[in-house]
Amino acid sequence: MIEVRGLTKRYGSVLAVDDLTFDVEPGKVTGFLGPNGAGKSTTMRMVLGLDRPTSGTALVNGRPFGTLAEPLREVGALLDPGAVHSGRTGRNHLRVAARTNGIPFRRVDEVIEQVGLGTAARRRIKGYSLGMRQRLGIAAALLGDPRVLLFDEPVNGLDLDGVRWIRSLLRRLADEGRTVLVSSHLLSEMQQTADRLVVIGRGRLIADATTDEILRGLGDLQVSVRSSRSEELLAGLRDHGFTAARVDADQLRVEDASAVDVGELANSLHLPLHHLSEVAQSLEDAYLALTGSSVQFHGREAAPEKTTETAQ
Amino acid sequence: MTTTAAPHVSPGRVLARTCAAEWTRLRTVRATWWFAAAAAVVMVGIGTVAGLDAGPSPADSDPAWTASTVTAVPAQFALLALALTAVTSDYATGGIVPTLQWTPRRSVLALARTLVAVVSATALGVLLALASALAAYAGGRPALHLPLAEGLDALGPVALVVACGTTLAVGLGLLLRNTAGALIAAFLLMLVLPFVLPVFGYAWMSAIAEALPGSGAIFLLIGEVPGMTTASSVTTLLAWAGGALLLGWLRFVRDDANR
Repeated sequence: MIEVRGLTKRYGSVLAVDDLTFDVEPGKVTGFLGPNGAGKSTTMRMVLGLDRPTSGTALVNGRPFGTLAEPLREVGALLDPGAVHSGRTGRNHLRVAARTNGIPFRRVDEVIEQVGLGTAARRRIKGYSLGMRQRLGIAAALLGDPRVLLFDEPVNGLDLDGVRWIRSLLRRLADEGRTVLVSSHLLSEMQQTADRLVVIGRGRLIADATTDEILRGLGDLQVSVRSSRSEELLAGLRDHGFTAARVDADQLRVEDASAVDVGELANSLHLPLHHLSEVAQSLEDAYLALTGSSVQFHGREAAPEKTTETAQ
Repeated sequence: MTTTAAPHVSPGRVLARTCAAEWTRLRTVRATWWFAAAAAVVMVGIGTVAGLDAGPSPADSDPAWTASTVTAVPAQFALLALALTAVTSDYATGGIVPTLQWTPRRSVLALARTLVAVVSATALGVLLALASALAAYAGGRPALHLPLAEGLDALGPVALVVACGTTLAVGLGLLLRNTAGALIAAFLLMLVLPFVLPVFGYAWMSAIAEALPGSGAIFLLIGEVPGMTTASSVTTLLAWAGGALLLGWLRFVRDDANR
């Protein structure tokens, strides 16, 4: 369980995290979603006691992370896979971690096998690919068999096998009853892995709900329709008050409508249909709608430009 | 999943584990061994050469222990760099992020890191000082002698100088978080300024030089610093080491991990 209450971080005039409050519950994969520069990493760093909050608190299992005597047995985290001394071997890196928390060395070899690092663990980290560094970081996070796990953009730099492996790992960890918080700016990725989403933009909370709720709550249903007489269909739809747009020569997209509406209208106009389907709004659209409104909401404040790239 | 109470682990045990981890950290990077090797080459190498060059008559030559203290003057910088990089490499690589995830109690980490770096470097310094004297003695027999009773008078100052110098280095590393910056600061304080300032001939510059840790170190090792006494040398060294460590600790405990 992670409890974040009124968490705020200010760097000079920049408000990186702005009064953030949310819970991350056990047994679920909670996606922490936001554009680059939204404050995801800063929030995770504050949860892990790396950065000092300007105000507010973050508790892990009811306690501040900075007071834990054996943190690896309670919280495993992967923030930046590149942040390791590359002159050490992967195995020695993990052995240092094991020593700090009184974890037996045989557990080091177990997690090395579990993440598929194998014999590479005896080589110096200098020669590792980004994917191997990700695996090493995940091995360190799993070392103490913790109940709470935080991953910052874990699929970055992984090949397809690696991405699939991370997805199943996250699922399994949550199914085992662990608390899993995983940040990403990859919307499609979150749609596949997260049960719940905490969406932030410019350091502020935008949405905190299940992935389904977020998709349904914002997803005005759309209809995709294909006809050989699409020009007439488009005109007919607009005459009847629908918002429709052309996708290609034969295909149209109708906003805020059902397949029944569009099908009956086409029938009444005697227009042939070759395809008719309802399209659930993608998380991407919902997310852009959410973060877009956040940007408008903050439009009057002086805020860094970089956070708006994706949001706009 | 219900929250289970964390098992109680005593602060002493946390410190012991952190020290063990710090020792593993120190010995599993090559830089440590390169600096140790550099110190060994300087101390044992110069000791051997000094022994071979010793005059034929035992009457007018120094005891072989002189090799210990004289060679420690240049070799201390290798040991100082060893302790300093033990701290700053975590900032250069970003390794401070996992380090603090594994040991989030920062005072414990600062204490363990200081203890392991300083004790390792000092123990190495004393061992190499002994090896230097033995090398000089072996090379210079029968001209050089090795009176056991005088051993402490040579090894004691080496231990004190290396311990204070490496504590200063650790403090600077924690304070500046940057290898180049901290190394330059350490070299200025321990070597360059104590030698350069008196050259200008102004009394106030000489007074500043006397207040620098390098002057204390040189006096304790070779004794050729006008105006310094054993008491002033020890005081200067301890004050600089303690002051730098205090400032470094304050920054380490209060600031964000690496921003």
